[in-house]
Amino acid sequence: MPQATSRPAAYAARLHGVSKAFVPRRPVLDGVDLAVRAGEIHALLGENGAGKSTLMKILVGLLRPDAGSISLADAPVDLDRFTPAEAVRRGIGMVHQVSALVPAMTVVENLAFGDARAGLWFHPRRARRAAERLAARFQLEVSLDRRVEDLAMGERQRAEILRALGRGARLLILDEPTSVLTPREAEALFASLRGLRDAGRAVIFISHKLSEVEAVADRVTILRQGKATASLSAREADARELGRLMLGRDVPPLERPARTPSVAAPALEIRGLCAPGLSEASRLREIDLRLDPGEILGIVGIDGNGQRELEEVLAGVRRPTRGDVCVGGRRIAPRPRALRAAGLAHLSGDRDGAGLISAFTLAENWILKGSHDDRRFFRRGWLDRAAARRAARAAAERFGIVPADPDAPIASLSGGNAQKLAVARELDGDPSVLVAVNPTRGLDVGSARFVHDELLARRRSGGAVLLISTDLDEVLALSDRITALVRGALAAVPPGSDRAAIGAILLGEAAA
Amino acid sequence: MEALLEASVRLAAPLLIAALGELWVERSGVVNIGIEGTMLSGAFAGFAAAVATGSPAVGLVAAAAAGCGVGILFATFAVVRKLDQIVVGMAVNLIALGATGLGARALYAGNPPAAPTLAALPVPGLAELPLLGPALFAQTPFVYAALGLAVVVGLGLSRTGAGLRLRAVGESARAADAEGIAVDRVRFRAVIAGSALAGVAGAVLTLSHSDVFTEGMTAGRGFIALAVVIFGRWSAGGVVGAALFFGAATALQFRLQARGAEIPYPVFLMFPYLVTLTVLAVAGGRARAPADLGRPYRREAPAG
Amino acid sequence: MSSLARGPAALVRDAVPPTLAVLGALALVGVFVALLGYAPGRALTALLRGSLGSGAAWTATLLKASPLLLTGLAVALSFRCGVWNIGAEGQLLVGALCATAVATRTLPGAPAALVLPAVVLAGAAGGALIGAVAGALRATRGVNEVISTILLNFVAIQLVALAVHGPLQEAAGAYPKSDALPAAAMLPAIGRLHGGLAVALALAFATQLLVFRSAIGFRLRAVGHAPRAARFAGISPELYGWLVLALAGGLAGLAGAFEVAGVTGTLYERISPGTGYTAIAVALLARLHPLSVIPSALFFGALEAGAGAMQREAGVPAVVAQMVQGLVVLLSVGLSVARPPRARGLRTPEPKRGID
Repeated sequence: MPQATSRPAAYAARLHGVSKAFVPRRPVLDGVDLAVRAGEIHALLGENGAGKSTLMKILVGLLRPDAGSISLADAPVDLDRFTPAEAVRRGIGMVHQVSALVPAMTVVENLAFGDARAGLWFHPRRARRAAERLAARFQLEVSLDRRVEDLAMGERQRAEILRALGRGARLLILDEPTSVLTPREAEALFASLRGLRDAGRAVIFISHKLSEVEAVADRVTILRQGKATASLSAREADARELGRLMLGRDVPPLERPARTPSVAAPALEIRGLCAPGLSEASRLREIDLRLDPGEILGIVGIDGNGQRELEEVLAGVRRPTRGDVCVGGRRIAPRPRALRAAGLAHLSGDRDGAGLISAFTLAENWILKGSHDDRRFFRRGWLDRAAARRAARAAAERFGIVPADPDAPIASLSGGNAQKLAVARELDGDPSVLVAVNPTRGLDVGSARFVHDELLARRRSGGAVLLISTDLDEVLALSDRITALVRGALAAVPPGSDRAAIGAILLGEAAA
Repeated sequence: MEALLEASVRLAAPLLIAALGELWVERSGVVNIGIEGTMLSGAFAGFAAAVATGSPAVGLVAAAAAGCGVGILFATFAVVRKLDQIVVGMAVNLIALGATGLGARALYAGNPPAAPTLAALPVPGLAELPLLGPALFAQTPFVYAALGLAVVVGLGLSRTGAGLRLRAVGESARAADAEGIAVDRVRFRAVIAGSALAGVAGAVLTLSHSDVFTEGMTAGRGFIALAVVIFGRWSAGGVVGAALFFGAATALQFRLQARGAEIPYPVFLMFPYLVTLTVLAVAGGRARAPADLGRPYRREAPAG
Repeated sequence: MSSLARGPAALVRDAVPPTLAVLGALALVGVFVALLGYAPGRALTALLRGSLGSGAAWTATLLKASPLLLTGLAVALSFRCGVWNIGAEGQLLVGALCATAVATRTLPGAPAALVLPAVVLAGAAGGALIGAVAGALRATRGVNEVISTILLNFVAIQLVALAVHGPLQEAAGAYPKSDALPAAAMLPAIGRLHGGLAVALALAFATQLLVFRSAIGFRLRAVGHAPRAARFAGISPELYGWLVLALAGGLAGLAGAFEVAGVTGTLYERISPGTGYTAIAVALLARLHPLSVIPSALFFGALEAGAGAMQREAGVPAVVAQMVQGLVVLLSVGLSVARPPRARGLRTPEPKRGID
């Protein structure tokens, strides 16, 4: 441990006046102070977009702040020379939101490749013994010889924590670690963190969930719009107060009037659907579901259990091996254009990959999905750019998208504005069914609220929404019925199930 | 049969050396299609230095140095400036073609002398073994070097710290960066090492297979080396097998060409390219490339 | 389209970086040439005289620019769709081969009015076919088009060699070249300037319309920027990759047909001085904009036309033209003139398994 001294440091990390702007005059961080004591679990609380991830990237040397100072273990940091390598050397270990392990390598190899103490040679057996010792010392259970891409999320996370500890981390940073975990896995994680704290390590725990902060943190610092609005002991704060500090305004609860049961034909019906998966766990197995008009059906699940495959089948880009997809009682060929023509729209949280093209303009994105059959914008094989611009401008103005410039590339829009455009586009043809997949992933609270309101508006006006999401809170708040997607098959969720019960189902532990 | 095996291994040597270099480069996540021009530069530099000094060994060193130089050019634009690797590679090929052609005419005015070549160095005893003796033990030092390099590259990838870090960079530059590995430095060095090998591979053509330099004489061998890496599924063992396969195809072509005049020679010259295409068509879709192959790594992204 | 839509000031501004790239490349080569003991001033004078100094020089420049324009369009179209077509050279050669075959073997005695269209179409079809082979390998087998088009270039070279040593060899049998094309198969010309040049210019405008104003162009740009998003919008990246390789092949094949039917009048082995490779420089200098390919092709045409004069008058080998091309590519891309359409890996399209 390079920084180990006879007298333990009082503060694992202190940040003072840290500022960062990616675009001039639009600071992501604005003079943030943060003090993390040795031997405490310090929660960093803030909504998406508040600047938490940016702050942590600065602390691990991935980004350089425009202003401010940092000290680690009571010793100042030279920010001009503060690289990720230096951060690691000074005892910082980051566990990323999106795993920073190399998927194609085994856990042992992942533990070994960044080890500065590794010499000229790599000895697989010696590396494995070292990994075993490390896992035993911190009581973290990981399959050392499997490739990371084959591990469940919770196990990947443990591997990453292990790696950070193996580097001699005194300060562990966990970026929204529970977002990919089941409630049960999250509980196990909290136990591990408490153990580390008791062993004298400091932990920064990033979250936007109040309940988690109350469950695990000793102290909490709240970020709002790039500013640290408060820092207080977790014991002295209550959830209501934290919520006010985090959001800065009271968010009225979603209004979801009771639904009158429908007697009409189902808006969407899926029968015996099977489709190949990216992995064995995500292969779709005999999916049967029915979605009525005016209903929101929530499909909850953990990434990698078939969500992506189901989304792709319903968007027409993954060929099912068996089964039917019926829209409005008619069997539809699972091709993009046929599904769209039948009134099925698709809203994805994977905006850059599947929904919008960031190099295209607003207008071009607006007409993207109609390039084969939308007579308003494409006539006899030619593009009507004036019509596309008019339509995009009108939509941008109606939905308050900034900038409302049809010729601006999507890349120049914020995530929230881009997603507004996607929502506006998908709802434009008044589709009978909307498949929304993680529709608010990565959005700020305001934009997420906009999306939720639009989904509920669809429901009120008799539209059907299939909400496929990994965000349990979102599914609980919006859905009339909930079902779970576990290892590529649907698992029933009894009405009125609480988070713990649903968690058990997601783990496949519910009684048959 | 012995002669055919011997010719297969001999002809495979430049491909193998170049492909092992490219393998090292690609496992770091960089595709260098400038390897063709790099080989050409090595062929020219090796030839010119050997002619000037009378020593093929000096030629060899010059070839490696020329390879390094071209590698620095490629890496400066493709790794440091992060321009598209295909585009930079093509540019490097054009520049090398022009520069070597110009150099050759400036030095020899269209009438180049013969270069001293590296003679075969039979291993006493083993060279007389039936079947494999001439193929493996009566070759030029280039062939021994190529086979030795395969072992070095194979072990280097699997058993050294540098190889482990190189693989991490090629599979996930972001993960490697987060672990404090200087991604661009690893890639820069990989390109230079690979380019030095490509230069040496070029020298095989002027200091062993023939004794002259002609404009554009690599004639696509660098591109075949790229195919060898794909066909060899990005492993050292696979690359050896693939290079030997192409060596054998070329040797067979010469053999058939010498024997029967019935088939016109362009058919034979087409053969290795068609074989490569066929092989890629059969294997291509399933081959597993390093995940970050061809993707320049940029750290600072405007994320919240 | 951008600068044309924004008026003359933008046009000038957009022309600055490519001009700098060209000047920088010429300067660097000048230094290199001087280091080798040649006189760079004399070389440059000869280069200019040979390309722009007289009516004959202009004719030579335009004749060299014509195939560069067509193949440059082919490359620009492909790169726009995210398809790394390095195969314009082979597509041109196969086009020339097919045009010659039709002109000298299949249509003796056909009505004169039919011969020329048939010859030209045969060239385009031949190029399209070899482009489509690469497209098929890419779409169905996931073979990376960079490798396949390069390999097909070498196949095409040998196909031409095979033809002129065998089935298409001249009746006299003296040289490895084809019979002269019959008069009816030759393009109409003013002086030495053949009508193919006008067709090439028209196709530049047509390609501009195709890319920026048509539904097909819209879809192929979508594929170029974001193949996965395009797939979700019902646009098949494989299909469009295939289509664009065939279209590009057709353009390059046309260039080959125009060479035999407008310039050489016969097919022989080294009929293309690497035109298809120069085309990459042409397209990148033009920032992949079809209309900008016109001035870009003119520049490289002048370079090739002047290089011959330079070799004769200043003794500097014409092969330096290739160095200039390579440097122009590096500098123009380095000055952010040409940003290939998507930040991409070398991943070939997702294999068909499951997804399609």
